[in-house]
Amino acid sequence: MTSSVDRSLDDELQGIRQGIREGRFPARAFNDQQIYDLEQDRLFSRAWCFLAHESEIPAPGDYVTRYIGNNNIIVARTEHGDISANLNMCRHRGNMLCKSEMGNASHFRCSYHGWTYKNSGELIGVPYMKEGYEGRLKRKEWGLVNVRVDSYAGLVFGCLDPDAPSLEEYLGGFQFYLDFYLKQGGEGSEVHGPPDHWVAETDWKICAENFAGDGYHTPVAHQWGFNLGYFPSSGSTHSQGWAASIPGLGHGIGLGHSPNFPPFGGFPDDLAERMKASFTPEQVEVFSQVRTAVGTVFPNLSFLMQPFSLVPGESGVRFVTMRLYHPVGPGRMEMYSWCLVPKDASQEYKDEAYRAYTLAFGQAGTFEQDDFENWTKVTRAAGSTMVKNVDFPYIMGMESERDKDFPGPGHVVRPYVNDTNFRNLWSRWADYLVGEV
Amino acid sequence: MTSQPDPAFERPEIGDMSEYPSDGGNDGPIVIANEFTDVVVRKVETRNGMRLDIWSPRRGSRVLLDAVALDCLSFQEPELITELLSRNPGQ
Repeated sequence: MTSSVDRSLDDELQGIRQGIREGRFPARAFNDQQIYDLEQDRLFSRAWCFLAHESEIPAPGDYVTRYIGNNNIIVARTEHGDISANLNMCRHRGNMLCKSEMGNASHFRCSYHGWTYKNSGELIGVPYMKEGYEGRLKRKEWGLVNVRVDSYAGLVFGCLDPDAPSLEEYLGGFQFYLDFYLKQGGEGSEVHGPPDHWVAETDWKICAENFAGDGYHTPVAHQWGFNLGYFPSSGSTHSQGWAASIPGLGHGIGLGHSPNFPPFGGFPDDLAERMKASFTPEQVEVFSQVRTAVGTVFPNLSFLMQPFSLVPGESGVRFVTMRLYHPVGPGRMEMYSWCLVPKDASQEYKDEAYRAYTLAFGQAGTFEQDDFENWTKVTRAAGSTMVKNVDFPYIMGMESERDKDFPGPGHVVRPYVNDTNFRNLWSRWADYLVGEV
Repeated sequence: MTSQPDPAFERPEIGDMSEYPSDGGNDGPIVIANEFTDVVVRKVETRNGMRLDIWSPRRGSRVLLDAVALDCLSFQEPELITELLSRNPGQ
């Protein structure tokens, strides 16, 4: 694989790798055709990539179409209730089978020559089979190209590398933190409707980094939220909290703490009690101290939970957003943004959480607009010629000692305002790009 | 739109999915469609009884199924439809 890549780029990547260890990362990585191409070849074709939440395809025949790298994938619930993922391409002449992003079908029929497949991917129907193929076509040999899938707590991931380790190994303990978003209450979480989905002139990596725990930007980029009473944090204490990362695996989460914020504040009391019952004692201890939890599953899936006030000054409502950054070119991506709610919560709370989510996130969300305004400008600058040899500093927390008393897994440091998670994220990214995963 | 873990009636006012309708309503026509095809389903009275009419407007094909035929479908495996499609994918 390395032979097809420009030798100087490989050398350059080794330099980038060394720079990350020393607290530097190059600006050009956020808008560069060669790096984009390498990410397609070496990262998205080998990592476990998020496809869908199980609650998006609850009934037999339900399907959604998603991407892994530049591959369009059908994720379907088969007639027998299991989940199957296949490349969205007819094996006859390569036409896209499912053109709708979501639907329900027991069988998929190609609109070009009519080849028909079970929703699990087997080819079953071929027009003019006898007259045209005269017995030479064996349907068993021409099923859809299958994608390896596995799931954790409702999240369905796919992996194009048959030799990659299991999803459990890939997540490597990050599940402890993911449970905060995914095991809310006795029945877990579900999506509140289909995702908001739009194209942004932003590199996917900027979002992945920001959501790996960038508490640093919040009091500046979103200062109106503090000043107008929508967001229950204060500039004077906002740096408090932790940065937790899984060393070597790229996953990271920022855990923001506010001294006077009540444990599990922003949830209805009965829901908070059910949530506590579904967590381990260590999880309850960690999550009790958290106002904001913002984390990235390497490479491009993120979550955020925080309280947001529907009426300024009133107590906030906690919501969860899950987001997927699908790269479609250097410095260009498709954004998928969901609201996750606890399945067994009251409809009243689900609707309030969704309102809080839409006020802050989604295409018209206030925090979202703050962020994309900045991220689009970062992306544009990263693609300019003068930036080719410009690095950014990633030196916050270089000397931080691990918080040994923290009950959660991974490398955990204080304060919340930290670059430790980002160095781990870019280090893992560089491992994939140099082909050493 | 909230997610629907269980299938729901198109006309929920006449009852739940598995509730036997007592008012004889729901004559149709009902359109069942996805991105691959669409059919129109309606109850058809014959002189001495009734059938379910399944009409494919794009194909122009039609089948009239009586209670015994429909009952028979209700206990088949999904593979029966796969087998029928593989026998005649409808060119």
